[in-house]
Amino acid sequence: MNPSNIAYLNGLWEVNAMATVLKQVLAWMPFFFGIGFIAPLVAQMMVLWDIPAPFGMSRIAFGLIIGGSWGLVANIRGRWL
Amino acid sequence: MSEQELLARSDAPAADRAAFPLGPDGMDRYTRRDLRKEEIAIARQFHGGAMWPYAVAAFGCFAIWLSFFPLAIMGVLNLPLAFVLSCIFCVGGYVTSHEAMHSNIGRPGTNTRWLNEAVGAVSTIPIVFPFSMARLMHLEHHYHTNHPDKDPDYTDEAPNMWAAWYKTWYNRQPGVDGSIHHYKRILADMGTPEARRALVETMLLQLVFMGTLFTMAWNGYAIEAALIWWLPRHIGLSYIRFFLSWAPHHPREGKTGRYENTNVFKSRVGHILSMGMQYHVVHHLYPGIPNHRTKEAYYALKPILKVRGVDVSPL
Repeated sequence: MNPSNIAYLNGLWEVNAMATVLKQVLAWMPFFFGIGFIAPLVAQMMVLWDIPAPFGMSRIAFGLIIGGSWGLVANIRGRWL
Repeated sequence: MSEQELLARSDAPAADRAAFPLGPDGMDRYTRRDLRKEEIAIARQFHGGAMWPYAVAAFGCFAIWLSFFPLAIMGVLNLPLAFVLSCIFCVGGYVTSHEAMHSNIGRPGTNTRWLNEAVGAVSTIPIVFPFSMARLMHLEHHYHTNHPDKDPDYTDEAPNMWAAWYKTWYNRQPGVDGSIHHYKRILADMGTPEARRALVETMLLQLVFMGTLFTMAWNGYAIEAALIWWLPRHIGLSYIRFFLSWAPHHPREGKTGRYENTNVFKSRVGHILSMGMQYHVVHHLYPGIPNHRTKEAYYALKPILKVRGVDVSPL
């Protein structure tokens, strides 16, 4: 096999590997979305409306529980609501 | 039974039968050909015209929308106003990209081709729908309008208006066999380099979208990100799907013919707010007629459309 073919196959492997990683990330996106966006959104809305978190928790910890569990359920059920 | 239908019957006495075989529309092929020629001649008058306003709108709105992010971070943005404008930009962006999908801003090989591609590329970023994917899917929709498996927009079909609004949201749920899954199946069937590119670009744009939301949110700007991008995108997508897909094509089942696959309808929100979709039949017959001229073209074509069996009673 000449060097250009090896380079081509290496490139192909890299593209396929990247696509596989991307697909995995996107497959778990609802969960990541729960942690990455819903959690801080919940916490910041609680600050805006001056709502304290229950059980002496910090607002962001409460947001992480809500966002993480909601995202996980959305991932498993395939529905946000 | 009408006189035309009587003439079309093969069991009618020979003396009473039409000179040429008549189709189910009661017309012979010569009449159909003449009508088609007349239709094309009228439609030709409405092709072309100034398309620069679409480019100005696309770049202007995109630039304003982009400016919302730093302005929000600097704390000098009126968030409710930015939210309303972002919703408008999400919806309006699809209109400008739609012209680019049909190469109405610049045909291949012309001097303005780059502008066509640039308008398409920036217009659909707010709805996180790359132009490569949008164009491929929209052209497939034109080639196979109302085909259950081949029309990418068939999943928008719903029995009534309320169900249609609900479905615009339902089809975006992660586990539902809705829009994006249907798109992926069609792209896999196509198997072309363009289809693969569209899939990769969709994944990348989704990652950029998520990355932006997460970064802003964890730096204290979650509400800003939600009001500038996340919510406007959802509202925009639902609005687009309702007015561009469900309303002009309902009911879809079995309606694949040239003059039956798109409806004329009276919109409760009027011509502008329904993005000219009341006259979408003209767009499906002649996609080269720009959006702002479809109303005028419809009234010029109306007598022919009526003869062709289109229900023109709503407008």
